[in-house]
Amino acid sequence: MFVGKPLRRREDVKFVSGKGRFVDDLLPAQTAHVAFVRSPHAHARIGSIDVDQARHADGVLRVLTAADWEAAGNGKLVCVHPMPFSDGRPMNEVLRPAFAAGKVCHVGDIVAAVIAETKHAAVDAAELVEIDYEVLPANVETARALDADCPLVHEEFGVNLINEVVHGDREATDAAFAKAAHITELTLVSNRLAAMPLEPRAYLADHDVERDETTLWATAQMPHMLRQWICRYALHLPEHRLRVIAPDVGGGFGVKGNFTPEIPTIVWMARELGRPVKWTCTRAEALQSDSQGRDHVTHARMAFDEEGRILGLEVETLACLGAYLSNFAPSIPGNSYPQTLTGLYRTPAAYARVRGVYTNTVPIDAYRGSGRPEATLVNERLLESGAREMGIDVVEMRRRNLLSREDFPYKTPIGRTYDSGDPQAMLDKLLALADYEALRREQARRRADEGRLMGIGLAVFLDKSGTGPSKSLARKGGLHGGYETACVRVNSDGGVTLFMGTHSHGQGHDITYAAIAADQLGLDIDAIEVVEGDTGRIAHGNGTWGSRSVSVGGAALHRACGEVMAKAHRIAAHLLEVRMEEVRYEPPLFAVPGSNRSVSFAEVADVAYHGARLPADHSIEPGLESTVFHDPDDSNDPSAMHLAVVEVDARTGRVALERYLTVDDCGTVINPMIVEGQVHGGLAQGLGQALMENVVYDPASGQLLSGTFMDYAMPRASDMPPLAMDFHASPTPSNVLGAKGGSETGTIGPPAALTNAIVDALWHLGVRDLRMPLTPGRVWEAIAQAQSGRDS
Amino acid sequence: MTSAPTRTIRLKVNGHPVEETVECRMPLAELLRDRLRLTGTHVGCDTSQCGACTVHVDGVAVRSCTLFAVQADGAEVLTIEGVGEPGALHPLQAAFQEHHALQCGFCTPGMIMTALELLRREARPTPETVRRYLEGNICRCTGYYNIVKAILATAEAGTAEQKASEGGGHAPL
Repeated sequence: MFVGKPLRRREDVKFVSGKGRFVDDLLPAQTAHVAFVRSPHAHARIGSIDVDQARHADGVLRVLTAADWEAAGNGKLVCVHPMPFSDGRPMNEVLRPAFAAGKVCHVGDIVAAVIAETKHAAVDAAELVEIDYEVLPANVETARALDADCPLVHEEFGVNLINEVVHGDREATDAAFAKAAHITELTLVSNRLAAMPLEPRAYLADHDVERDETTLWATAQMPHMLRQWICRYALHLPEHRLRVIAPDVGGGFGVKGNFTPEIPTIVWMARELGRPVKWTCTRAEALQSDSQGRDHVTHARMAFDEEGRILGLEVETLACLGAYLSNFAPSIPGNSYPQTLTGLYRTPAAYARVRGVYTNTVPIDAYRGSGRPEATLVNERLLESGAREMGIDVVEMRRRNLLSREDFPYKTPIGRTYDSGDPQAMLDKLLALADYEALRREQARRRADEGRLMGIGLAVFLDKSGTGPSKSLARKGGLHGGYETACVRVNSDGGVTLFMGTHSHGQGHDITYAAIAADQLGLDIDAIEVVEGDTGRIAHGNGTWGSRSVSVGGAALHRACGEVMAKAHRIAAHLLEVRMEEVRYEPPLFAVPGSNRSVSFAEVADVAYHGARLPADHSIEPGLESTVFHDPDDSNDPSAMHLAVVEVDARTGRVALERYLTVDDCGTVINPMIVEGQVHGGLAQGLGQALMENVVYDPASGQLLSGTFMDYAMPRASDMPPLAMDFHASPTPSNVLGAKGGSETGTIGPPAALTNAIVDALWHLGVRDLRMPLTPGRVWEAIAQAQSGRDS
Repeated sequence: MTSAPTRTIRLKVNGHPVEETVECRMPLAELLRDRLRLTGTHVGCDTSQCGACTVHVDGVAVRSCTLFAVQADGAEVLTIEGVGEPGALHPLQAAFQEHHALQCGFCTPGMIMTALELLRREARPTPETVRRYLEGNICRCTGYYNIVKAILATAEAGTAEQKASEGGGHAPL
């Protein structure tokens, strides 16, 4: 058995020796290079654009603006997951333009593009494009977006509101609050983040005139969807005229799933010029053009009975979606977020109203965790705050509210039905791992003996992963499928190639899928190779996002392997001249028990492809492969629990992160080494949101202040705390493997767990709440404010 | 094509002599990647913050995105391609695989180049020293846990190895 073992990754050898092949590593002869001219203003009307000087500069091939895009008859980008108002009105939709026309709506908005013989020539000429701007008042603050005096991002709607999505039961929730013994109330801000995979986005397109086929090498998580979006919406091409190859991709985290405005221009120009055209994003451009994440402002209340049992939850959220709607943007606050709001608690009544708003900022879209970190912050901050206000220990409070294993499947008042979980057992594991009682004693000792401020905070939560099924996505407005494809092709030598519709950009799909297939086919893992990320070799797929690869793609693979084995069995029985029931597969041999007759898997493959020894009546066709389009019955529900231990220095506000502990339930684990690695990496991003990461726009000018890695704080090696982790598997019934998503919990828990821990350390000083990122300055300020409040 | 000033430089890259005429504004990373096609050196930020472009110039780990190629005139440059190859990996490269110290692999060459310098300066670093030394290298995938583990494991094995081969002529990388 290979499943369940920490098998090493086979692709590592090329990466550690510098032999990976990323898009920017490709440089075919005759490549032309693109430089984009971007808006330096948050909001401005475009007067004239003078491209004359740029057009005549050395080495310049083309200069493009919105006028050229229009003249070519090109279309728009697309929002594939619209979310109408709950009363049925369509949302106020403005898509990201390939080139801004009339006005620019955020710093980094594209106004023009220069295509030139060299990178340097393109960049030099881009500086020669002269644009007259009439600067307009801008708004970059989510909380202000619906104020009457707020500048409008898109005047045509008369409001910055995109949509208003309502979930749950207003009346039942009002009734719950009316009978509450205690009500806790908080305003919660999920800070805006930049995903920042370390490889910047890059695209290279080339056009084969004779075959009328264009190839795009792209930093893409979903090459098939990208192909569809480019062809169907932007350039009006038949999909099969474009081949999208996503080679080695240096991290995705959601942002490389998007149809960003640079992409269609690269493809269009390759077709126009008949030569390779390439663009590689710089980091500064990435910070003003990659879609960003989070940016919620929420006012929420939780009602409790006298024992601290939750009676109801009420949530009002403003979710910023930036200046335009990116691909999946509306579905993140409109769907993912509310679905996980009540987390792992028995919440009898809930009501959530989510309003999407425009501001003059980069569009928001999916970023690892999308929706769940925001939801968990709300639920978990309210619960701990309620516990402290009521004088109940935060763990005891959770015990009284957590779902039990017997509660699953559990239907929440928001509407989602959780498929599996065992929260009480997970909490036991977490507390044992942390030695919770000892931590509380240590906290009391430090405070009493030394005046030191130790804090303990938890976050227990539900993830939601394995995006699908197609019908469910469509019901919620999605224009894309939720199935996944696997093609298992036995080669004529008995080796096997797996063609998967997903894409690995760090997640180790190769060894994961190979383990699943090797077990099912009874072959050595070295006999199995995995191909992903090429629409020319894999006809269809939906790609990798929402932790769906193993639970949806793996399930497709499992079925395809089963079909291949069934056919191999039939061929073997034919060759052995016995009935199928008489053949037993003893890898790698099909044998007839009690006889010395057998035929190997490789011989069966050889016969299948030669064809001559197959039954004369054609009852078995030649070939040995199976393609499965697997549409899952449902998505799945991983869960996790985090505990953070901190000590706050009251004089400086500095937070020392002493320990961090996690327990994950992602169902069946295929490769524990890889799943642990996914939790590690997610945690770095989650801790980043809690403690340091923050996209900052200047409220007065709308300027982006976090424009490089000098200003946008990325977690470094010494920022990571000592970590202890454990797992608890309750397999999902929604796929044959029992696997649930295991890649996003790291980003979900830390904002709540760390805020809770720091509030825990400072509660007795009067601190009741804190805003992320929890930098020394903010923590110090909170302490100072609490103190002055007490003194006055 | 452009009128930007150029200069001809001579240097050694991974032991091989190189002579190139380059624009004076060309970063060393661009020379390595686009001219010499040594694409293992990656560019992640252009501001010396991420460390993906780290190479050794005359034995010192530097950011090749902010060093001009002309500044490397006469120097010996070592890139990830010169450290070890598939089939003959350097122990640190092998340790990165063994300890799952990489996910997407983009920061990996820079991480390895930085860690090689550390191990040359300090045979048995503490975990804290390793973390501090990696301050200039960003990884967005791994949370650094397994990178630190791989470097410490290499140091541990390397000390044993070095003791065994004390007095050998070839300096360890």
